[in-house]
Amino acid sequence: MAMAIIFKAVNYMYQPNTPFEQQALENISVEIPTGSYTALIGHTGSGKSTFLQHLNGLLRPTSGVIQVGKQAITPETKNKQLGELRKHVGIVFQFPEAQLFEETVIKDIAFAPKNFGKSEEEAETIARRMAQQVGLDDELLSKSPFELSGGQMRRVAIAGILAMEPEILVLDEPTAGLDPQGRLEMMEMFKRLKEEQNLTVVLVTHQMDDVAKYADNVIVLEKGKLIASGTPSEIFAQPNWLVEHHLALPKAGEFALEFEKKTGYKFSTLPLTEVSLAQQIASLLHGGGVHHG
Amino acid sequence: MDIVEIKNLTFKYPQQEVQNFNNFNLKIKKGEWLAIIGHNGSGKSTLVRLIDGLLAPESGEITVSGIKLTPESVWDVRSKIGMVFQNPDNQFVGANVEDDVAFGLENAAIPRKEMLIRVRQALERVKMWEFADHEPVRLSGGQKQRVALAGIIALKPEIIILDEATSMLDPEGRQAVLEIIRELNQVEHLTVISITHDIDEASNAQRVVVLDDGKIVQDDIPAKIFSHGASLVKIGLEPPFSEKLKEELVKQGIEVPDEYLTKEGMVDWLWQLFSKQ
Repeated sequence: MAMAIIFKAVNYMYQPNTPFEQQALENISVEIPTGSYTALIGHTGSGKSTFLQHLNGLLRPTSGVIQVGKQAITPETKNKQLGELRKHVGIVFQFPEAQLFEETVIKDIAFAPKNFGKSEEEAETIARRMAQQVGLDDELLSKSPFELSGGQMRRVAIAGILAMEPEILVLDEPTAGLDPQGRLEMMEMFKRLKEEQNLTVVLVTHQMDDVAKYADNVIVLEKGKLIASGTPSEIFAQPNWLVEHHLALPKAGEFALEFEKKTGYKFSTLPLTEVSLAQQIASLLHGGGVHHG
Repeated sequence: MDIVEIKNLTFKYPQQEVQNFNNFNLKIKKGEWLAIIGHNGSGKSTLVRLIDGLLAPESGEITVSGIKLTPESVWDVRSKIGMVFQNPDNQFVGANVEDDVAFGLENAAIPRKEMLIRVRQALERVKMWEFADHEPVRLSGGQKQRVALAGIIALKPEIIILDEATSMLDPEGRQAVLEIIRELNQVEHLTVISITHDIDEASNAQRVVVLDDGKIVQDDIPAKIFSHGASLVKIGLEPPFSEKLKEELVKQGIEVPDEYLTKEGMVDWLWQLFSKQ
């Protein structure tokens, strides 16, 4: 099923018609294409978490429409109309391990499919498969989730979301607090899951290197407004614009600019990952570039 | 002079069978900035909790600023140490920023007149005085960590311990926090112990200790540690960008120097390489 997400003129107001009224999303119109790996970036208070909570109707817009596949979410949409949608959109919130509660790992992962009407046996089969998908050893499945390390607990929580077999996987800073090895493994895992299960991924992150390495689509929010959307190379093409909006370049891009300044050489397109930077340096060295020096 | 001295420390968590630390020794000099790195589970956080007396060793001796850590002296020891933790949201007690900074001073029974002065000075120090009457929930992660730091500065500790204190911040927030720590270390000669996976934070240190399984596996200056390149990820540190680039250049058939280069050093080296063309 195609599950593109389309925001049409979406406004969201916290505590409307009170002195505490605060506009969290302002006239947002944007599309998250089916099968894309979309990065959502912006500072604290930019509206990222409010945006996320609209993806499965945890929040309904104050005005405007969010179309997710066939389901439209409007200010009038009732909770009970959203049950079907919520099976398709799995959201991994920050520090998801804080939400583990079952006696064993396998029960925790099987909770969602059981809740969505699968038999005990079916739910457990799905849970075993998902545990394998996220790299949890079989021997861990009968343990209490609270005996596991932080990184393992997070994998259990993510397997629990995957067990809903969603088509859209939403990740809110999924690697916060993990060590570099754990971060790398987790990001590679999402990449693999996306490819194997044909997921649409929406990732909230501060790590511009991850945006450059994994995403093919970027949405930038600032104070509740959409200020840019496009491919990573489009978003990172204008360093001055980034500085104005207090956004960083990926490290490779920063390095490339310093290299250009110092040497007078010019890259044909600004490299955003170390792989493409090294390739471009090699091709310049072998005479493939234009020398402005 | 050593401000922290750990001798023959042995410790294990009650529910665990293996020792977390066995005959562990470490000395930290006054005014030093020491970075402790290691993968999750290597014992970093346990170690600083032992130094702060939040955990008690089975045997061995910990001395902080000349005071031997015992159940009786633990409060004296803690008054020498300020700790900043990872999650900025878990550290607030006050209804607004000013109250939050005042909380520790009230606990320490500082007279109100002096308290007001110290709160203001501390908040000015971290450039958060203009937010004095703000609710903590409205602040960004970086601002929250700066308020947490102000709470510590107001208590005038000798040692600041950062337990992955910048790991949840965006790059701007991280820079702002590190800037303050650099000042405290360089101008006021506070001893800094920072647990981190972040190369920028570790590169501020004069000394890096690598922990694995409760043992010190390396103890050196940052440049020496950073020259390990991609294998750094195994010991819990994000490899510096210049090391990652070197590896990709090698794949492109370009010969690279062995020693660690900073970003500037790397640009200079490439410039020379291009000049020789």
